[in-house]
Amino acid sequence: MGGTDIQIAICGSAGDGTIACGDILNQAMADAGYRVIAFDVYPPEIRGFGECMARSRISDRAVHSMKESSDVLVSLNDAHAIAHVPEVHDYGAVIYDDAPVTRLHEGQHISGHIKPGQIPYGLPARQIAEQATGAAKARNMAALGFLAGLYAMPREAFERTIRRKFATKAAAVIDDNLAAFAAGYERGAATFKLDLVAFAPPAAAASGSRPVILSGNAAVVRGLLDARLETLFGYPITPATPILEMLAAALPKHGGRFLQVEDEIAAAAATLGAGFAGARAATATSGPGFALMTEMIGLGVMAEIPGVIIVSQRGGPSTGLPTKTEQADLDIAVHGGAGDAPRIVIAPTNVEGCYRCAGKAFELAETFQVPVIVLLDLYLSNRLETALLPETSPFAQGAGKRFSPADRSGPYRRYALSEDGLSPRAIPGQIGGIHTITGLEHNELGRPSDKPEIHQAMSAKRHRKLAAAVDFPDLRITERLGDDGPVDVGVLAWGSTAGEAREAVERARAEGIRAAVLKVVMLAPLPLAAIEAFLADAREALVCELNYEGQFANLVTAATARRLDRLDAVPGVPMAVGRIVEAIRRLAGREAPRAA
Amino acid sequence: MTTLKEPIYLEEKLKEIQESGRLGYRSRSLPTWCPGCGYFAITEGVASALNALGVAPHEVVIVSGIGCASRFPFFMNAYGLHTLHGRTLPVATGVKLANDRLSVIAIGGDGDGFAIGGGHIPHAARRNVDITYLLCDNAIYGLTKGQISPTTELGFRSKIAPYGNHDAPLNPLMMLLAYGASWVGQAYAGDPHHLAEMIARAIEHRGFSYLNILSPCVTFDKTNRTYRALDLAVRHLAETHDPADVMAAMAEARDRDHPALGLFYRELRPTLGDAMADIARLARASAEDPVVSGRPAE
Amino acid sequence: MAAKHYVIIGNGVAGNAAAAVIRERDAGGRITIVSLGALLFYDRYRLPEVIEGQTDWRRFLVHPPAYYEDSRIVVRRRCRVAQVDPARHLLTLGHREEMTYDALLVASGGRGHLPMALSEFAPLLERFDSYRQAMAVAAALGADGGVVMLGGDIQGIAVARKLAAAGHRVTLVPSDHLFWPHRVAFEAYPRYLAALGQMGIEVVEGGAVERIEATGEVGRRVVMEDGRTYDGKVVMPYYGLAPALDFMAGSGVDTERGLLVNPELRTTDESIWAAGDVCQIWSAEENAYRFYYGWTNVKAMGETAAGNMTGGGETFHTFLDERLAVTEAGALHSSFWDYER
Repeated sequence: MGGTDIQIAICGSAGDGTIACGDILNQAMADAGYRVIAFDVYPPEIRGFGECMARSRISDRAVHSMKESSDVLVSLNDAHAIAHVPEVHDYGAVIYDDAPVTRLHEGQHISGHIKPGQIPYGLPARQIAEQATGAAKARNMAALGFLAGLYAMPREAFERTIRRKFATKAAAVIDDNLAAFAAGYERGAATFKLDLVAFAPPAAAASGSRPVILSGNAAVVRGLLDARLETLFGYPITPATPILEMLAAALPKHGGRFLQVEDEIAAAAATLGAGFAGARAATATSGPGFALMTEMIGLGVMAEIPGVIIVSQRGGPSTGLPTKTEQADLDIAVHGGAGDAPRIVIAPTNVEGCYRCAGKAFELAETFQVPVIVLLDLYLSNRLETALLPETSPFAQGAGKRFSPADRSGPYRRYALSEDGLSPRAIPGQIGGIHTITGLEHNELGRPSDKPEIHQAMSAKRHRKLAAAVDFPDLRITERLGDDGPVDVGVLAWGSTAGEAREAVERARAEGIRAAVLKVVMLAPLPLAAIEAFLADAREALVCELNYEGQFANLVTAATARRLDRLDAVPGVPMAVGRIVEAIRRLAGREAPRAA
Repeated sequence: MTTLKEPIYLEEKLKEIQESGRLGYRSRSLPTWCPGCGYFAITEGVASALNALGVAPHEVVIVSGIGCASRFPFFMNAYGLHTLHGRTLPVATGVKLANDRLSVIAIGGDGDGFAIGGGHIPHAARRNVDITYLLCDNAIYGLTKGQISPTTELGFRSKIAPYGNHDAPLNPLMMLLAYGASWVGQAYAGDPHHLAEMIARAIEHRGFSYLNILSPCVTFDKTNRTYRALDLAVRHLAETHDPADVMAAMAEARDRDHPALGLFYRELRPTLGDAMADIARLARASAEDPVVSGRPAE
Repeated sequence: MAAKHYVIIGNGVAGNAAAAVIRERDAGGRITIVSLGALLFYDRYRLPEVIEGQTDWRRFLVHPPAYYEDSRIVVRRRCRVAQVDPARHLLTLGHREEMTYDALLVASGGRGHLPMALSEFAPLLERFDSYRQAMAVAAALGADGGVVMLGGDIQGIAVARKLAAAGHRVTLVPSDHLFWPHRVAFEAYPRYLAALGQMGIEVVEGGAVERIEATGEVGRRVVMEDGRTYDGKVVMPYYGLAPALDFMAGSGVDTERGLLVNPELRTTDESIWAAGDVCQIWSAEENAYRFYYGWTNVKAMGETAAGNMTGGGETFHTFLDERLAVTEAGALHSSFWDYER
């Protein structure tokens, strides 16, 4: 099998320039036309050693997940990198500095920890950097250059990227980095490549669109801006903070207003107030902050006010694991808050989806006059991925039934009971549209009422109106991949885990198992028709998700009464593709194929 | 108590009221407050103020929380948001940032504002968001039938405080002055003309205006904050009081035995809207992050 | 009692045979092999398959990676030994890592000897000792490139016959090292030369090489002092082996051309042994230290040394007939070529 599908891990200490290396690698490879998916790992700060790891998967085909083992490990700091050698493929490569400045005891050098089948590549990175630039500081660039030269990666793409990255710095900085990179590259190119990792030039890029590389958070920001977001209220919380920071800088350029507020309750409150006043308003948070917003979401549901809430899930419950990924806020997203409070919940499965869901969320919010929750997770938020984004905004403005001042047929009924459950919304400033919204149950005029028939009718209205959401145009609410028709094993997945599930299904199919995966993007309301059709085709059904209780499986079981097999795990990192494959095999009644 | 100078005839009064235009700001719903509640005067005061200022009803947004005072929006002919307990100010901030041309009035009681809502007040004040906050201070939780509130006097007894309130009451005026509110005043429901005037001035002020309105709860507080007690206790701020002197205002605010009515403090400083406009100017002049713009950096 | 640390310098036949014996005889001991190369121990006799297109080195491995994990043998690859300090039982690697040993086996083998006169042309010469070198030769030769071999020691002839069998033209310019280390009587030469011819190797007149030139991109030309020239894609020098023991300099252990060892393969340091092409063993019959070559000998040396490092008392004996032979089919055969997979 030719082509390129290589995963590179760069491990160092804070201050070694590890993340910068990873960043340049990702940008350069995207620039050169490869598909990239990259996820950096930062262990908890408490340890005090500041270990950083940048991991990038580079391929000439579309990729949907990280590989379980990396093909190449570049060590910028052996003390940290040694622990990650076991994560490298048995026949992978390890690149390290073979000219340390101090004497070492036995075992302190990474060359002593390399697995028997792995290939070691030593280079005197520090010395190379010193010779090229006069200082050892750019040794990370020398190591990066060596990596690039060894695998004959396109050199110009790197040089372009280095220039871009340091464009705002002094010329000497750019020159030093380029010089160190070049010296490393030449060395790498002259080194005989013994490992079996393949790296081929990319196919010619499809004309017209060139993929960009960006994080899920950045994709959300792009989507919100393309949808002409007007106000963003937020409170810092990992991992949603970058969304706030990017919009703090960018939103004012686009005519919008950003405000950092005093807590998440205020963020949700201001979002609702702005939505009532007719602006496209959003906020972004994570689980603990979202928990504070549930009361306000209830108000938004009861008063039928549009708003967009981006929630990037992290390890829970409570403060949980702030730097680890998880998918455990589904329950609270779908049901959180008092009473029967139906709302729309969508969850993208990759970075491109983050863009589309964030942008589409406003159309949904305005059409259905309800808060829309966009569920990401830390892995999606922070990972870099190449994505194809449109040149012009594909998102419509001013959606939904609106009050028209020309309509004078009687007093304005904000909550008029209609067949589709949607009623016209008036915005402050519109003559004739005066009304008061309230969290109390209310009649068609919006006046508080606790009469049984009114509560029944309004509850029905609020639920009925959302039914059409599952057929919303231009939003892929479910997607089936893999074998068509009846399958041995059908996998249901949502959020980022859909990427791992997709790869697992491909591997299972390569082993001769008939399998398919259904990616579900809309989680509330649940697209039952598509799910039931999929389950009908599947002899066995498996749901894999990163939470302990099987929250999505519970939703599906409750709605379909179908017993599902569950793969629930809370490792804090993306689900291992191999585990999903094992589960599929087990359900299909197959054994693992013998190793070649 | 004001003394009548001349007789007032009902028909003339009704005609005056109708012609004044203030009824245009009242909704068709009759208030659900207890007869004698100070909030009737506040309603009248807001209607006259808006009328006097000539703000169109469809450009007014009244935001409230939960409580007796928070019922206010239902009784006014303006866009209203009857939101959640304690969340009036951030919602109002959102409304104002969405559409700066709207006149936004936040209204609520002492529990809504200083108990559950206490965390939001400093930020609305220090941001100087251009809204008016009418705080209806009856020192009790009326809607839920008589519990103590953050401004209830020491020793006050109720079902929830059968041995007497043991928490010293907050001083709202001192707090708002400390929070940096750019307009701080006090009025009294028992002096409705002064109240109406203060409301008008509060709305007029460019910036965050805080008007503390002393108001009796005739149903659940028959001992402390009654009309009789307040009539005797209140006084007006001296003519010599300098509203630019925050320390003088603090000193006046300390006097709880004889609450002063009038304008305690006022300053003009950039509002949140001004800050947003400045930021917009700065933003347009600076380069955009290429990741966000989708275009390579120049 | 703390586990003994056995360190073996060299990742070839001797070193790996020794490691296996040590593990058998000392289950708890730590074993570390230090290797200059990057690959695990592989079968060099199979390198000619590279010429035929087999580039996956995993197929040449003598033991799979799991063997080393299961046997707890650590193979330090791409590690150069810089220095050995017998007094402190310490060896220092090129990247300044220090390693203490209880027992050290030097099995670093030999490198191809290159006469001084030709040392300046080293960048233009190729050997066929390692996978990397085999890959380079395969790339240079292409489909049917020609090979010019200089010297013609017995290892070189093994390579030459494989290349010839694969269809490449092989021209041998003999020197004193022809058939080394076999000592061949002058009268026997014609018979052996005929055998070479039978194997497809063209032997030309010997003589002194004046220089080697690069012609075009991948071509090479050997220019003899008498003006003759021989062209080919690669030029391979096979002038015998020189022991690789520069790291022993300054250690105080006796050396001549190789490390001097007694019949139990121990050097003059009680904790250091040697095996394979790197050592000269005392021969009472010949009253001299001498080398022993060939897979059979080298493996036996490794095993004997290992037995002695773990408390045994064996002496090394060779069972090889060191004479060169001609087979019935008329081809040359050397017992040094014999090995078991």
